[in-house]
Amino acid sequence: MPATPPALFDQSLLRRRLERAARRDGFAGFLRDRAADDACDRLLTILRHFPLAVELGCRDRALIRALSSGPAGASIRTLIELDLVEAFARPAAPLGLVGDPERLPLADASVDLVVSLLVLQWTNDLVGALIQIRRILKPDGLFIGALFTGSTLTELRQVLLEAEAEVTGGASPRVAPFADGPDLAGLAQRAGLALPVVDIDRITVRYDHPLRLMADLRAMGETSVLRDHARRPLRRDVLARACQLYAERFSDPDGRIRATFEISTLTGWAPHPDQQQPLRPGSARTRLADALGVQEQTLRPDGSETVP
Amino acid sequence: MTADKDPAMTSPPPTAVDPRLLEILVCPVTRGPLEYDRTRNELISRSARLAYPIRDGAPVMLPDEARPLEEGEA
Repeated sequence: MPATPPALFDQSLLRRRLERAARRDGFAGFLRDRAADDACDRLLTILRHFPLAVELGCRDRALIRALSSGPAGASIRTLIELDLVEAFARPAAPLGLVGDPERLPLADASVDLVVSLLVLQWTNDLVGALIQIRRILKPDGLFIGALFTGSTLTELRQVLLEAEAEVTGGASPRVAPFADGPDLAGLAQRAGLALPVVDIDRITVRYDHPLRLMADLRAMGETSVLRDHARRPLRRDVLARACQLYAERFSDPDGRIRATFEISTLTGWAPHPDQQQPLRPGSARTRLADALGVQEQTLRPDGSETVP
Repeated sequence: MTADKDPAMTSPPPTAVDPRLLEILVCPVTRGPLEYDRTRNELISRSARLAYPIRDGAPVMLPDEARPLEEGEA
């Protein structure tokens, strides 16, 4: 039996958080709206028609809204919307379904496009999830995935750790670790996706108070679901100290606090023989020096250049 | 309202899942094929011996939410 890596995130807790967010009015979807607009822009630059697309994690349906309000909608004939939470998937019926992005219920080579917006940061096995995405894509199918990465919520992470250490004498991570954006291309390659590209976008959101930021995270269902997190609720005095530190260190002159969100967007293709392929090293038939119209210089054993 | 043997008698007719979606669904546990049981409005995975419910037209493809098939069923 293959060894399973220890699970970092509690998926049933994630589901409960999302269910709570779905029940409330006012899903805080501004970052998803932005990611959806960005995905539409990318589709417009790719001159290709995708008959059947699936979105992994449709949440507040930001993608289908963005698609139907702009020209990018013409790139897709049918969009299937999947979510872990029934309340999010049901409005998409008869093209909605409930499913786990880490256990996809879709057949191999069945869709032309997979889009996922700010959902995959919670997967315990990101490479495994990318492998499944590659499998459900038809050859030359496209994946566009946006994830929170790296410096997301770095301010909150710092002040919570410091406040907890200061008040209780010990600290545990309260903000989930995020994958490093630049690493995503390597992960995509390991998952067998061709021509991976990662773009990193850093967004600063300003709030009146750190508690407003936390309320927004709850309304997105994006509060931490670290596995051992729920057993140790955040103490009130720790929270108060963290808010104080936040205001001291990360506020603008007008008193509003800053929160960083880093969104990395990965694009990759299911392999197809017609895609551009790298040549084998040493297989070139033309000298680079000729192409550039310069004299070729060889390296001496110590690495320095010889001047002919 | 009392429970009736025929679910169609007590609940409104179920929203039909789009055939384009039904066509590509597989069992998330075994990745095996599914059969659509029209009367119970379920998707049956014989390989995993699970029946996935369809609620309000949305297939619920989570093993936790699926009904284990009974002995001798299907």
